[in-house]
Order: sequence, then C-alpha cells, then structure tokens
Amino acid sequence: MSVVKTSLRNFLAHKGRMILSGAAVALSVAFVCGTLVFTATMQTTFDKLFAESASDVMIQPGEDGSAMDESPSTGRFDAMPPEVIGEIEAVDGVETAVGIVQSTSIVAVGPDNESVGPTGGAPTMGVNWTHVELRTMEEPEGALPEGPDEIMIDGDTADSSGLGIGDTIRIMGVNGTTEHTVTGVVEFATTNPGAAVVYFDTETAQQVLLGGEGFTGVYVDGDGSVSDEVLRDRVADAIDTSGVRVLTNAEYTQENQDALGAFFNVIQYVLLGFALIALLVGIFLIVNTFTMLVAQRTREIGLFRAIGASRRQVNRSVLLEALILGVVGSVLGFVLGVGLAVGLMAVMGAFGLNLSTDDLTISTAVPITGIVLGITVTLVAAYFPARRAGKITPMAALQDAGLPGDKRAGRIRATIGAVLTVAGALMLFLTTTAERTVAAGGYLGLGILLTLVGMVVFAPALVGGIVKALAVVLLRIFGPIGRLAERNALRNPNRTGGTASALMIGLALVTSLAVVGSSMIASATEEIDRSIGADFIVQTSNFQPVLPDAAEAVRNADHLAAVSEMRGVSAEVTADGDSFEQSFSAVDDSFPDMIRVEMAEGSFADALAPGAVAIGSARADTENLAVGDEITVTFEGGEETTLTIGGITAPGSNPEAMPAYVSMETVRDSVPESELPLAWMLMAIADEGQVDAARESLDSALEPMPQMEVRDQAEYKEMIEQQIGQLLNMVYGLLALAIIVAILGVVNTLALSVVERTREIGLMRAIGLSRRQLRRMIRLEAVVIALFGALLGVAMGLAWGAGAQQILALEGMEVLALPWFTIAVVFVGAALVGLLAALVPAFRAGRMNILDAVSTE
Amino acid sequence: MTTPAVDETTGAGGPSGAAARADGVTKAYGAGDTQVLALDQVSVSIERGAFTAIMGPSGSGKSTLMHCLAGLDSVTSGKVWVGDTEITGLKEKNLTKLRRDSIGFIFQAFNLLPTLTAAENITLPMDIAGTKPDQEWLDTVVNTVGLSGRLSHRPNQLSGGQQQRVAVARALASRPAIIFGDEPTGNLDSRAGAEVLQFLRKSVDDLGQTIVMVTHDPVAAAYADRIVFLADGRIVDEMIDPTADKVLDRMRGFDAQGRTS
Repeated sequence: MSVVKTSLRNFLAHKGRMILSGAAVALSVAFVCGTLVFTATMQTTFDKLFAESASDVMIQPGEDGSAMDESPSTGRFDAMPPEVIGEIEAVDGVETAVGIVQSTSIVAVGPDNESVGPTGGAPTMGVNWTHVELRTMEEPEGALPEGPDEIMIDGDTADSSGLGIGDTIRIMGVNGTTEHTVTGVVEFATTNPGAAVVYFDTETAQQVLLGGEGFTGVYVDGDGSVSDEVLRDRVADAIDTSGVRVLTNAEYTQENQDALGAFFNVIQYVLLGFALIALLVGIFLIVNTFTMLVAQRTREIGLFRAIGASRRQVNRSVLLEALILGVVGSVLGFVLGVGLAVGLMAVMGAFGLNLSTDDLTISTAVPITGIVLGITVTLVAAYFPARRAGKITPMAALQDAGLPGDKRAGRIRATIGAVLTVAGALMLFLTTTAERTVAAGGYLGLGILLTLVGMVVFAPALVGGIVKALAVVLLRIFGPIGRLAERNALRNPNRTGGTASALMIGLALVTSLAVVGSSMIASATEEIDRSIGADFIVQTSNFQPVLPDAAEAVRNADHLAAVSEMRGVSAEVTADGDSFEQSFSAVDDSFPDMIRVEMAEGSFADALAPGAVAIGSARADTENLAVGDEITVTFEGGEETTLTIGGITAPGSNPEAMPAYVSMETVRDSVPESELPLAWMLMAIADEGQVDAARESLDSALEPMPQMEVRDQAEYKEMIEQQIGQLLNMVYGLLALAIIVAILGVVNTLALSVVERTREIGLMRAIGLSRRQLRRMIRLEAVVIALFGALLGVAMGLAWGAGAQQILALEGMEVLALPWFTIAVVFVGAALVGLLAALVPAFRAGRMNILDAVSTE
Repeated sequence: MTTPAVDETTGAGGPSGAAARADGVTKAYGAGDTQVLALDQVSVSIERGAFTAIMGPSGSGKSTLMHCLAGLDSVTSGKVWVGDTEITGLKEKNLTKLRRDSIGFIFQAFNLLPTLTAAENITLPMDIAGTKPDQEWLDTVVNTVGLSGRLSHRPNQLSGGQQQRVAVARALASRPAIIFGDEPTGNLDSRAGAEVLQFLRKSVDDLGQTIVMVTHDPVAAAYADRIVFLADGRIVDEMIDPTADKVLDRMRGFDAQGRTS
C-alpha cells in the first residue's frame, strides 16, 4: 500500500523526467500496433472486395492454388468455349451465368504516347463489361463501350492519366495492337486495388484479349433453391472442367484471402522486426532514466531504508514506477498506433490504393500485444536500476556523496564485453572460411548477436579512450568549454556508453546494409564489365514480359548484328528416376556473344546445341549429373523429350545469369509456338561502329511502346545501382524509427544530466560562464556522445557488412566495396543529431536561475 | 591592522571609492497582500580593501542583500553599483561579464566542479574568460591558502576545509575587485573554519582584497573590519573592529528588542 503510494508520488513528481522514456515506449508500441492494425485493415478490405464481387459459384482459370489473377507466362489466357454458358444455364438451380473475358497481359497507351496504367507493380487489366461489374463499380458515366472501336476506363485511371471521354487509347497485347475511343468512365464503388481497368463489350474483349472466342471465367448465381456447394457440384458435372476450377463463393474468397494473407504476413513480419529494433533501442533510454533517478534519490532511498523499508520494498517501489511508465507509454502507444495505421491508409490512398476507415480492423489482440510488449520491455529495462536501488544502505541517507562507482563491477563488465566482442568478431571472421551459404549464415548470425551484446556491454569501458581521442580532435579547439564538455561526457561512462549504444545499433544496421548494397553494386558492375558483350539490353519498365510486337520491333531495328531473347521456361525434369522442377533460360544462338557464361564443365556452345541443355553446378551436385548424361524434360505446354547435358555452369554474380540454359530451337522442337512463354528481356549487339545508329533505330522502333526501355551497358549498371539504392533507402526509412528513439535517448541523457548538474551549472554561471558558453558546452557533450555512438556503430556495421559480403561471395558476388559516402553521412549526421538533441536541454540549462541553481539541495 | 574609515550608512551620494554600493534597494517577493519585503530601502556602501561582514538572524535578508550586491539577483527598486558600474538594469550578458571579471564567489558548499582538478577549478574563471592567469600571482595565492601539494586532486579527494580553501584561491586568483562569501565556513568544523577565515583576513591585509561575507556566526564575523547588522530587511546597526563577545552582546540586544516590540 505505502509502496504503491510512494511509487505513484515519485512517478508524478518526476513525470517530466519520464517523458522521453515514455515517448520511446509509446513510439515503439505505436509502430507495433500500427503495423498490426494496418495489415489487418488491408486484409479486411480485400476480403470484402472478393466476397462482394464473387457470385455463388465462380469458375476460374488455372488448375490449383493459383488464386490471384496471375498472368500466364505465354501472356495468353486459356479460354473456355462459348457454349459453356448455355451448358451452365441449363443446370437445375442456376439463375444466371455470366461469361467473363479478362487479361492482364496488355499495355494501354494514351494519345500522348504515355502508358495509361500504373508504372509500378499493379497490372493493367482488360475486361468485358457485364452487370456483375456493378458489384464493385458505380453506374458508368457516358456511354457503355459498343463495338470494336470503343472502350471505357475506370475513374482513378482517368484522373491519373488525365484522359476522358473522346480520347483515344491504344491497347497492345499478345494479339497485336488496337485503337479505341473512350466512351465512358466508371468509378470504383469499393476499394480500388491499384490496377488500371479498361472495359470492352464482350465481343471486342474476346477479339482483343483472346484473339478468338470463349470466356476466361464464369460468374454463376443460383436461384436460391440449393446451397452453393450443391450448385458447384452440379455445374462441375455439367461442363468440361479441364484447366478450370469451380469454386463456391466461400472457397473463392478463402483462396484469395490465403494468397493475400501470405503477402500481408511478410509485410507484417518485416515491419514488426523494425518495431522490435526500436523497442530494443528504447531499453537503453529507460535504463539510463531509472539509473539516474535512483542515483539522484540515493539519500531519499537511504532515509526510506533507515526508517524501516526493506530492500524488497525499495526494489519493488522502483519497479512499480517502471510499471506505471510502461502502462502509460503503451496505452498511449496503442492509441498512436491506430492513428499511425489511419495515416498509412491515407498514404496508400496517395499511391492509388484507396482504403476506407470503415474497414479499420482492430482485434483485441492488438492492444494486448502492444501493452504487454511495452510493459515487459520497461520492466526488463528497470530491473537492474531497481536492484541497485535495493542495495542502497541506510547509511546513504547520512552521506553526501551519490552512489559510489563500483570499479570492480565495471572491470568485470568490461571483461565480459571484451570476451563476447572478440568471440563475435571471430565468428564474423569464420564466414570467410565457410564454403556453404548455410554455414556462413550461421556464423554471421551468431557473430552479429555476439558483437552486438558484447559491444553494448563493453561500450562503457571504451568511453574513456575514444571520447578522449575524439576530444583531442574536436573539443580542444573550443578551449576550456571543450574541456568541460569532455569531462562531462567522461564523468559517467555507463551513461555515456548506454546512450551511445542506443545510437550504435541503428547506425550499425545502416552501415552494414550499406556495405552489402555497395558490394552488390560493385560486384554486379564488375561482372557486367567482364561478361556482358551485348550493346543493348531491352526490358519493360513495369516488370511485365515483353509483348511479341515489341520483340519483333527490336528484331527489325537497323544496324543490329545480332539479337537474342531470353525467355523463362519451366520444365519437369526426370533424371535417373528422380524428378524435379527446373526453370531454364531459353536463348537464341547468338546469346554466347551477349553474355559470357562461366562453365564448370563442358562448353556453353555445346550446351546450346539442338537437343542439349546446360544446368547449374549446384543442381548437378545434388542430382549427381555430369556432361553427357541424358535427361527427360517436359517443358511447360510441350511434350516430353529427351535431352543431353551439354555443359554445367559455374556459379556467377551476373544479375541476369541463370544456372540453366537451353536454346530456343530446342524448346520449339517440343513446344508449340502458341505455348511459348513471352520474353522477359532482349539483348542486342550493334553492327561494327554503328552503336549510335543502332540506338537511334531501336529508340524509334520502340517509340510507340512507352513500356519498353532500351539501356546500354552504362545505363544498365545505373539501373541496378538505382534498384539497390531504392531498396536500401526503404530499409533506411524503416530504421529511422530506431534512430529516432536513439536520438530521444541522447536528448534524455542530456536533459537528465542538466537537471542532475543544476548546482554545478549555477556555480559556473555565478563565476562568469555566459549562457552561450553554457549552451555550447552541452552541445559539445552531445556531439561527442553521438560521434562516439557513430564510431562504434560504423565499426560494428563494417564488420557485420564484411561478414554478410562473404555470404554474397559464395553466391558469386565477390567484390567487397566500402560505402564511403554513407559512412561520411553517418558521421556528419551523428554530429547533427548531437546538436539537435542538445537543443532543448541547452536552452533549459541556459534559462536556469542562478540563485535557484546554487541553492538547490 | 588598518582602521577603516566608516562611511555614513545611507550610502547616498557616497564617494565613488566604494567597491560596491546599494542605494535604497528594495526586494519584494509576491504581490499585493501576500507581498514580502526581503529588503526594505537598504542603502550600504562596501569599502575597498576592507573585510565587511553582513550579519542577521535567519530571514533577515542578509543573503538577499549579498545576492543583489553581487548581481546574482535583481532588485525591485533602488540602485546597485559594483565599482563605478551601475549593475541594476545591466543586461544579462554584461552582468555575466562583470561577475566573471570583477567578482569572486565563495559559497557555503558545492563550490567546485567535481570533474576538474583543484588547479583547474582555481583557474576556471580565467579559462572561461579566455585570459591567461598570472602565474606569479597564482603561485602566491596557492601558497597563501596552502594548497601547493594538492593541486592535481579532484574535489572528492579533498577535505571540506581544503575544498573551501580551493574556493578561496579561485576567488582570489583572478584578482576580482570584490569577493562575496555566502556563509563560506557554514559547513566546516571550527578548526577548518578558522583556517579559511584566517586566509580571508590575510588576503585583505596582505593582498588588499575587498571581501564581503554573509554569516550568522559571531566568531566568523569577528574576523571582519566592519559588521553590518540586518533585521527584517533593514540595516539596524553596524560595528567597527568587532570582537566575538561584542557581536554576541549586540545580537542578544536584537533578540531582546525583537521580543519587546
């Protein structure tokens, strides 16, 4: 009872000093809760979308599992014959059957020769307009499309492309290019999943999308006389079900939920991972706060003990304060988290994915997870300070000094830290000896964990040396003010070490990722220089396959000596009775001139000969295959055939290199032309000395196809650099949370130090230290702490990154490149962080009344 | 011992030879009915080269007077000069400079920065100002207060008396026009206190330093050349060439007065 009261009073009395700790807890918990709410809301939104749009029974293309509207590799959707509608309508219990024609293998281009659809991941979808569309769409404005020349577009696409009724849109697909005039615009009634949708009448859709007749799916609604399951079985019995699946509404919705759920789970785990890093960083902040509170209250606690409080009571009273902090912080965090989720939904809206707050999904597990996590972290962090508080003797009440520094404990701590760090470094070094990715990954993981824990434990012992060294470089120029700042930073190594450690974690992750990124870029660049002979690389900009018209345009361009396509063909392979899936790169005969493929055995040219294939060395090892062995191969959409292994490729780092190759000719032997997959990339070599002319010709040939990108080698390298850079920026963005919490930690330490040093500051002010000098002193201290953290972080990050690069090396990316620019940014950034963190504490210190400060007990 | 020439305690229009001067200084806390006058129309002149003590019972305003004279606290009305500079109305920046260059402080406790050595603490005001200490003078000061063996010690390695002596040395080191002591021996036992007071006395006699000290201890006050007595925010008396017994008698007199009035 009295313990509870004292804790509550203490908490309220020191609530100002708890603010930043509370903010750290709240921020991390907010990120956790926000992630959970956001992904759940996305899931709800899509569940609703599928449930609303589906009929009682859905007939979908595909054999099994392929729930999403995945485009087949050929770009051609299998169609059911047109008679199927009549067959279904004749089934007892069926009221309506609506045939759907749908394809995502199209590109829509506006009159200004710009792609109409999204340039990111979402596809452009062509559909026939039927009344089932009204389940997800509003009543169309303008006229419905009729006949081969007309088209209707969705409202979001109309807004983003600026197109409207009367404009002309060119549709490119596997069946050629057609032109249509927009007659109507139709708005989404539900969430727009981000795709661009164009509507035709049914006959035009069949012509443009299928190049013939039939339907890709059927929406079947019953008259209510039988259940969906019975209806499904009756429909399935009535039609030829080869290549299609007949699903009830529930099954269809569930299938889509599962497919999306897996995707959302990945996003959720990634985001939660970053939230946990932030939470980990927050621990340092809380530890520092409680340690300082306990130190400041030593006499008070001593008095408490002297009048009869037991150790346990003191210990518990501190933990209770932590509990209050945890509860307040986490509850606040939960509320913030819901706000964060709403904010994220708004951001998604800006990207074209409109989510409604009506669908905001907050399960009870969210607040429970968030609050339990927040409280646990706070209690764990407060455990050691609480124990120290319990150890305070009644004598402390009578003594003037604060807690005496326990030198022995410090030495033990330093030793443990050093041992762990060295062990971790050893593990990281062992990655260089590992020959398999799994082993190297194990060493790396263990090394990261050990060095992280080791450095956190060891950091206080490093404060003396490193801060002094930093001071020599940076602080001495500021004369006595610099010296005062240096002494302050050195005064409490545990506090400085803890504050810097928090910053170290985030910066180590940034640095190590930068090392990996720059090494990947450098390796890829080197490999491109070494092995790519092609002058041009042609791809689409939206990760869709290359349409036949585009491939044709490249082939017909002038001044080209050779063109090779690369197509991905998956195959079922049987060797010695063992069956496995293998995807091959199907290439033209000129391909060896485009990319030099390193061989472990045999020659690449032999492997591309008719009736031959090349497989990767890893596969050759596991399946025990050698050059000359015969294997049975069934390419997708083709017949079984027997091929010979002509070569075995070595592992390489070329970003476009695949382990298994086969020539197009060999594939064509067993696969009909209509079943051939689309190319995902083309390469070309210009005639001798005609590179510029060839480029001009290619550019003009592809001009009407804005989705195509022609790149020379330099541009290709640039693209890879950009892609890796974008990925890194995204991760840095997510790490920002952990770094923000660490900055709060620096602010917290400084603010509490200023309070703790009130009398000192008053004294210095009394004997003539100006406000400016005082503020500078605090800023310098902050900068030194931040730079100390950056130094530890960069050192550790370089070690982690070097270890991780060893794994890449096993995958063929052998160059280790140091990200000097990022390292420089980290240091400059850390100095700025220090200045920023000192802003408020320095201001407050400057405003302190000298008299109050001098007379503070 | 020189006999100090006593000014009229009103201080108004006093000679500019004074080290510090207050003229009709009032310091009020709060407003309206709850207003408390810590200082009520106090005028006093502190003579150069003399050791002045300010005495009075608790709550008499003696510390407030010192804080106002030293520019640590602002006044409600009246004027304060340090040397020839009027400090009432001076900007914070100039006040800081004045404290740094012309005033030395010795507080009751917590006089030293724990992170600095004794030597660094002594030269701190000059370091802050960016001026070079006069090494010869520094040696003289350090020898006077008897600290030569302990210059590299940190405050927590020194006794309370030694710490106060470091504070005295710091106050003397920059040759300020005036040193203010706020119960400088309040936390010391009588022997250590006597030592510190002797050094203060000596610095006035040998070095010509001006010192103002607030105290409630008659023994400490007896080291001064002159004592100004404060009660209820007003100067009620003063004494030249005090002895402990005379001071004690006078104090008893105040007590009796306080009881009858």
